[in-house]
This record gives sequence, structure tokens and C-alpha cells, in this order.
Amino acid sequence: MTKSRRSPSQSTTSLKPEIPPVGVTVITGYLGAGKSTLVNYILSGQHGKRIAVILNEFGEEIGVERAMINEGEGGALVEEWVELANGCICCTVKHSLVQALEQLVQRKERLDHILLETTGLANPAPLASVLWLDDQLEAAVTLDSIITVVDAKNLRYQLKSHNDSSSFPEAYYQIAFADVVILNKVDLVSSDDSGASIEDLEKEIHNINSLTSIIRSVRCQVDLSNILNCRAYDATHATHLEALLEENKKLSTRDLHDSSVRTLCICEQKKVDLDKVRTWIEEILWDKKYGMDVYRCKGVLSVVNSDQLHTLQAVRELYEIVPTREWKDGENRINKIVFIGGSLKEEFLIDSLRACTL
Amino acid sequence: MAGGSDAVEATTLSCAKCGKPAHLQCPKCVELKLPREGAAFCTQDCFKASWSSHKSVHSKSISSSALVNPGEQNTASPNDGWLYCLRKGQSLSPKLPHFEWTGPLRPYPISHRRPIPAQIDKPDWALDGIPKIEPNSDLQHHVEIKAPDQIEKMRETCRIAREVLDAAARVIRPGITTDEIDAVVHEATISAGGYPSPLNYHFFPKSCCTSVNEVICHGIPDARKLEDGDIVNVDVTVYYKGVHGDLNETFFVGNVDEASQRLVQCTYECLETAIAVVKPGVRFREIGEIINRHASMSGLSVVKSYCGHGIGELFHCAPKNIPHYARNKAVGVMKAGQTFTIEPMINAGVWRDRMWPDGWTAVTADGKRSAQFEHTLLVTDTGVEVLTARLPTSPNVFPWLNP
Repeated sequence: MTKSRRSPSQSTTSLKPEIPPVGVTVITGYLGAGKSTLVNYILSGQHGKRIAVILNEFGEEIGVERAMINEGEGGALVEEWVELANGCICCTVKHSLVQALEQLVQRKERLDHILLETTGLANPAPLASVLWLDDQLEAAVTLDSIITVVDAKNLRYQLKSHNDSSSFPEAYYQIAFADVVILNKVDLVSSDDSGASIEDLEKEIHNINSLTSIIRSVRCQVDLSNILNCRAYDATHATHLEALLEENKKLSTRDLHDSSVRTLCICEQKKVDLDKVRTWIEEILWDKKYGMDVYRCKGVLSVVNSDQLHTLQAVRELYEIVPTREWKDGENRINKIVFIGGSLKEEFLIDSLRACTL
Repeated sequence: MAGGSDAVEATTLSCAKCGKPAHLQCPKCVELKLPREGAAFCTQDCFKASWSSHKSVHSKSISSSALVNPGEQNTASPNDGWLYCLRKGQSLSPKLPHFEWTGPLRPYPISHRRPIPAQIDKPDWALDGIPKIEPNSDLQHHVEIKAPDQIEKMRETCRIAREVLDAAARVIRPGITTDEIDAVVHEATISAGGYPSPLNYHFFPKSCCTSVNEVICHGIPDARKLEDGDIVNVDVTVYYKGVHGDLNETFFVGNVDEASQRLVQCTYECLETAIAVVKPGVRFREIGEIINRHASMSGLSVVKSYCGHGIGELFHCAPKNIPHYARNKAVGVMKAGQTFTIEPMINAGVWRDRMWPDGWTAVTADGKRSAQFEHTLLVTDTGVEVLTARLPTSPNVFPWLNP
């Protein structure tokens, strides 16, 4: 614990527009899956990037969070303290965590990325909601992705262990909300085990969330370029669109039983009315229409009276629909929406989306 | 763990928790310049384990630092024992803090804490500055539909808040200090049997917020005299019969230039037009679209860092964020029985804000002026009831309201 040298109370709440916001990656996963290994790997790697890791013991009333930053000579580790502003919710738009991260960015000469390691956080959704800020705020930080570290050896067991009938084990939430899954400790799983092979595990993960990318690893030694700058919540970023628009890819997963967490993809060829779509998605996300529990939603919309491809993105109740780019000549203008959640009802979703066309 | 050139010296201290040799120091103690003994720990774990008892060292230090040598006063403060507010109200200093002020305004020393009669019902932060019920309440996660008896209480409390603000409005004139305005608000509130909610809310030192000129919101009443040409917002919240009522208005001090008059009037209109759309089924998100449209039309900008909020038995509750800017992701639609505030802050220059060293006062980044108006609203079956509306007795201080 070194001194936290805050620059004299000049806490601006946003940077000058020229500096792009610093990406924040939320790292989640069970204890022992390898989160700390991943963090240490990233901090000690020779990649030339200045990365701050916030060890955020969410829910602990400590008031200061520990940050470790790889700066100094030859990437030496420096430990810092990030003081949360006592959680005053007095009508401020930005959560104290966001303000603290912005102050950290302000203080440092150059920070390339921030990792938020979440010990003991079952469900990353509330954290994602706090970090997924409106573009209008021009904040100094932006949510880059949610990465879930999964223990290949124990995944099956973790998915099967229901504490009680109504709620899912943490593993389901962590996989459902992941943009990237690091399937760690693959060396401990061999294909002639009586249990699952790696391929089986990947299928199980994709059964829950068919949009997430999966990276196999041993001791979390992953290529940083695969996990940093994902821009998973940036409406203008193309890669995720391509996955959705890819004609042949089957995104819906087999329904194991009605209530389980899975991925569902619906399509509609006719153009949709934007106002009707908004009402439609709000009824699903805010009113939990038909008892469906949607965790994440991503889609491409073909909108009436517009040459712009629109993207839809939702995390729990937060959603946005944004015009992203022009449809290309010859491109199949289609509505394609992916839902990840529990108790999803395919027929209802298809019919109600159709009702949004004119 | 390297720490740069000011690493801890070699003299061995013992861990305050377990007694083993300690090389790590509590950063808050360092910041408060507390003795290193009792602030040293051998590992993160010992530090974490002792946190709940150790942190009392910080709050003790803060209240004792309020007794400072009065001989060191800055010439700007003629008042004996009045000090500058720092760290949200957790500490006080005889010297004007260093800061890159964005405009002409400066903080002045603040007066001593005003007492509250024992028989007045107080919210939990009145005692130690820290709300406990509010952050942990279920009312942070879903918007309450108020029962008729709760609504009746809200009406009564909001009416008292309105009368308190009106009392403040009547004393606004060049030469009066914002501290004197605070005294009026404080007295009027306790005379009505209410508690001034801002007092000690997260250590806020006064009973209302007074925001002059380039101050956007949360200005702390102090020894500065209002000057001819100033604009000043007074933000009042009253806690009475277990509920809060919140409103604010921006007033002219003497003769105010045309640009400021337009700013204030436009801000008033922003609130009016936003209130006009409130009814069941309207998205909370829509409020920001309307305010932004109206402000932009006049070439003014909308503050983005502060927002409207749900209110009732809690000062701030769900819907937690009702932004005043456009293209926001606010969740939910309005339903009859919900109560919340709309409180647009509109700037003559840029929208960005900065914070003063006191930890509360938000000022415009470019030093240009800012105005605000606020009401507490109730959604009815057909529309809206403005619970903090002007009364026939409210002073005639807004020229545009005269026919």
C-alpha cells in the first residue's frame, strides 16, 4: 500500500475529447478457475501495454479498492489505491466506481486498459450496467467486455449443482453474460476421461451462450490481442455484426428443458417499425413479458424508411438501438436478433417481432 | 511494492493488527497526516481484517481537526472560527484551498453547524453523516407506487418545502450572504417541524444548497455576500412525517444582465416542457430528449453529470437516474403513484462540470453561468401533479410569469 497521490482535487469528470476512453474489462469466474492467474499473466507479460488491475471486492464495505498497475522500470508492478467516493448516490449519473476509474485514468500519464477483477461476484450484470455508460457522457472509461474464466476440470460439476430449484448456479450467469470465455486448465482434461472432452465442454458453453468466443488455455496464457479491445458494447464496432449476419451460422441452441438458460435466434425478413420494436423489446426486458428472463440480447435490425443498419444491444434492462452503418449493396437486409436467457419462448418472440413489421 | 521516491522509511513499525513487522501504511491515514503508529500493517489481509475498527481513527481525526488555530485566518474571512470546507464536509481548513478556479467565484468560510431541536424527527444521517437505510433499501431497485396515505404525506411535506423556499426567495438581495439564506431555510424548516434533509447528508455541512453564477449545483452556503447582477439557486429539501420534498429555483440578485435572464428563463421553460409530458406510459428516457431539445434551441447546453431521481421516504431512490440529456438509456415508464424529481441544470457555455476541493460544489468547466429549477412530481392516472408548485402566496420574482 503506497501513498495514493491524488492530484489536488482537480477531479474533472471527463477528458478532453481527443483522448479515446480507456477500455474496462470485467473478469469474472469461480474462485480457483484462474482469474488471479490471468491477472498475473497480463500484468507481468512483456506486451508494452500499461494496464491497471482493480481488485474489486464488491459488496465489501471497504471504501478503497486495490489497484495494481504495471508501470515503472521494465514493467515493474506498482500498487495503488483507488478510493471510492463513499457511494454517495446524491443524484449523480455516474456510479462512484466509474468516478474512481476516471480519476485513476486522469492521474496516470497513459493507461491502455483497465481490468476489473471481481472476487465473489456471482452475477456480472449489475457491474455491466454501472459501466455501460451513455455515449453522451463522453466518459474517460468505457466497458470493453466481460470475460469469464472457466475451470475445464470442474465446469460440468458447477453447471449441474443447483443450490435450489428456482435459481441457477453462478456459472450460468457468468457464461450467459460473457463476451469471451477462457476455458482454462485444459491440460487437466483428457479425452479418454469418463467425463467430458474439451469439445463437449465448448458445446455446453455454447449451449448457454452461442455468441461468446471461447479461448482454450493452460494457466491462462492467452494472446492479449484476443481479450483486450473487444469493444463488445460499442455499437459502431463491426465484428459482432458479422457473426450475426453470417447466413449459415446456427445460433439457436437446443432446448434442454424449458427453463434452462440458452441462446435463441429469431429472424424476420420484412422491415420493422422502429417505435414498435422499442415497445416490443421494452415489454420483454422491463415487463418480463411471458415470464421470459432475458440476460443479454444482440441484434441487427432492418428498419422501415432507413438505409442504415441498426444494432440492438441489451444487458438485463439496459438496452440501446443505434443506427450503425449503411446497408451494403446486395446485402441481405434482414432482422436477426439473438436472446440469451431463461424460459425463452421462441414462437412468441417470432410472432411478436413479426407484429412490428408494417 | 515500489512507490516512487517517497517510500516508507526503514524504522520498523508493528502491524496494528498482529504486531508483526509492518511496511504498509493505510492510505487514508497518510492523507490525513495521522501518526504512522497505528496506521501500519504487515499485509493486505491484516489491513482488511482491521478496517472496520481502524477507520474510526479517520473520523475522530476529522472532527478534531475542526478546532484549528483561528489566528491563521485568510483576510477574506472576517468571521471568527469560520473555516473552509474540505472533503465533502469531513474536514475544515483556515486557508483557501489551492485549485484552478474555472470562473470568478471563490469559496468562503462556512459557519458552525446549526442545531436541530430534539423533538424533530430526523433521518438516520443526521447523527453520523452516513445514510444506512437508503443505500440498502429495496426502494433502490424498483419504483414505488405510493398508497394514498403516502401521497397525502408527500403533498404536505412538499408544500412545507415550497413555503421554506419562498421564505428564502424573499430575502434574496445584494449584500446578503448565502449563509444568511441558509439560516432562513434552517429556521423555517424547523419551525414547521421538519428536518432540512441536506444537513449532514454524506457530511454536507448546511441545510440547503446555494449555487451562485457558475456553480451548477450543491453549492455550500458561506460568508460570501451576494452581488448585484448575480444569479443564485437555492435548493431545499424538507423531511417531514417520514417523507422528503425537494425543489429548487434560481433567483436574480438586483439587476441581472440579459444573457443571464435568458439562461434562467430558458431553464424554467425546460422544466415546464418536461413536466408537461409526464403521465402514465411515458418513458423516463423521454425527459432528457425534451429538455435537450429546448435548451439546444436556445444555444444552451445541458449538464450531464447530475440527474433527477425518485423520492419519498428516501431522499434519493428509484428511478435512480433520470438524465436530462438526450439519447440516454434510462429504464422504465411512468406509472400512476410514482413520485420523482426533474431538475435540469442548463449552462450558458459548455456542458462539462468540475468539482471544487470541498467535494460538493459542481462548477461549469468554462466558468460561465448555470441555472437550475426543480420540482417533485406525482404521476396521476391522467397526468401529473406538481407537489412543490408555486402557491398564490409565492413571491413574484420571475418576470416572465407576469402577464
